[in-house]
Amino acid sequence: MKRLFKSLLVAAAVSVLALGVVGCGEKKEEAKPEAANATAAAPAPKTIVFASDAAYPPMQYMSEQKEIVGFEVDVIKAAAEKAGFVAEFKNVAWDGIFAGLASKKYDAISSSVSITDERKASMDFSDPIMSIEQMLVVAKDSTVASLADLKGKSIGAQIGTTSYLVIKDEKGFKAIKTYDEVGLAMEDLVKGSIQAVVADSPVAVDYTSKKHADKIKIATTLKSDKVENIGIAVVKGNQEVLDLVNKGLAAIKADGTFDKIKAQHQMQ
Amino acid sequence: MSETPKIDVGEGAAIPSRSDWGLFNAWVISIVGAVSAILYLLIAHPDPYQRLLVYLSDGIVITFQVTITSILCACVIGLITGLGRVSKNKAINLVASTYVEIIRGIPLLVQLFYIYYALGRFLNVHDLTAAIIAMSVCYGAYMGEVFRAGITAIDKGQTEAARSLGLNGKQTMFMVILPQAWRTILPPVGNEFIALLKDTSLVSILAVSDLLRRGREFSSETFLYFETYTLVALVYLVITLILSKGVSIMEARLSHYVRR
Repeated sequence: MKRLFKSLLVAAAVSVLALGVVGCGEKKEEAKPEAANATAAAPAPKTIVFASDAAYPPMQYMSEQKEIVGFEVDVIKAAAEKAGFVAEFKNVAWDGIFAGLASKKYDAISSSVSITDERKASMDFSDPIMSIEQMLVVAKDSTVASLADLKGKSIGAQIGTTSYLVIKDEKGFKAIKTYDEVGLAMEDLVKGSIQAVVADSPVAVDYTSKKHADKIKIATTLKSDKVENIGIAVVKGNQEVLDLVNKGLAAIKADGTFDKIKAQHQMQ
Repeated sequence: MSETPKIDVGEGAAIPSRSDWGLFNAWVISIVGAVSAILYLLIAHPDPYQRLLVYLSDGIVITFQVTITSILCACVIGLITGLGRVSKNKAINLVASTYVEIIRGIPLLVQLFYIYYALGRFLNVHDLTAAIIAMSVCYGAYMGEVFRAGITAIDKGQTEAARSLGLNGKQTMFMVILPQAWRTILPPVGNEFIALLKDTSLVSILAVSDLLRRGREFSSETFLYFETYTLVALVYLVITLILSKGVSIMEARLSHYVRR
């Protein structure tokens, strides 16, 4: 009896495994013809895996269909079509997204990564996609108009972002809190646990105009003497991926596709 | 009386047996290894590591704050729950049992999110307070089971003797049963204490600036992931090793006292 049970178990395990393998195989076969259509002549289009922290509306976020969507995702998909590569997106938590790139778990990061000199030391960047600014978000009824008004108050930003860098060395705050996701920081702001959040301009606009439009507002844009650009980060020295991405970006910017996507997402 | 019967409640603390007191036991090897690794890193590579330790220092304080406050609250909640679980009053018993059942069925991480973000809409608590409440409520349930087991492990004869001497139920519990139960309860409580300290790393999800969050902040900015998490792990290890030693010494003392 015992033996029978065991063999049944084994049979079940094997069939599950087999199903899994077949399932995987099918998926790949499905993907291939599509790609071939997109790049008629190319023998085997290169697949580039982009890591994306899909908790950053409107740039990249999870749709209810559990797909990574957003402005930057559409940009990369359009660029992929033009340059002849297949873009695959992988949801990766922001905190550690750079460590994953360094250990080559994916080819590139498409996650509204600001191009900074510090980051350039450990990864390469594509041409800029667009420029952004840092914005100060506060509660609707708040009188705060600048960072200086926040003396003795708590402020938050997403961990490891340029938004955090802006406030990191400022003195006089009661506390500087770092969040895993910018949405959690906004949630804390709505609750009143903190008095301000610093965020990238597209994200700040999105949260203050859609999700929490009746509760929070943009107090001011934090002026900086440097232009902050976002781009695609790739493993240092991976010229092949870099060239493909740049080629695609240049193509969609030249033929107006980029502006069309921008209009679609109502970006300024 | 040469030997007292030993009652095991859950996993006992890593108490060294007499033969274990030599130089080469797991505890000595771990602590010497961890401390010398930290010292080596600090002296041989002062650049990231000393800067890193300074950056982590206030996180260590917060971790301790959360741990100690939570364990005190959890002990109180645990004692009440434990007494409720052995209570003959059906209503009290039911409440205590339901509390244990519910809390043990929800992961701590979910409880943390629930108290801070879900309930946060109605009662706005400070992040540190929310963390302490969640840890206390969660560990209070586990602690309640430890207390219950400790209480029920005391021989029935003790209760009968106390009652026949004219003590009432309350007196029996607080003057006869609990003082004896404490001895069996202590090792698992010590273990819960250490487990709680380790679980405080979860509160970093609420943006509480504990040891892990400070480490994540440092690494996400400098990209020194290896260095940061090595030091964070070593610091946690040293703290828990010292605590586990403290627990086993206390336990050894208590049983020694009883044996005399």
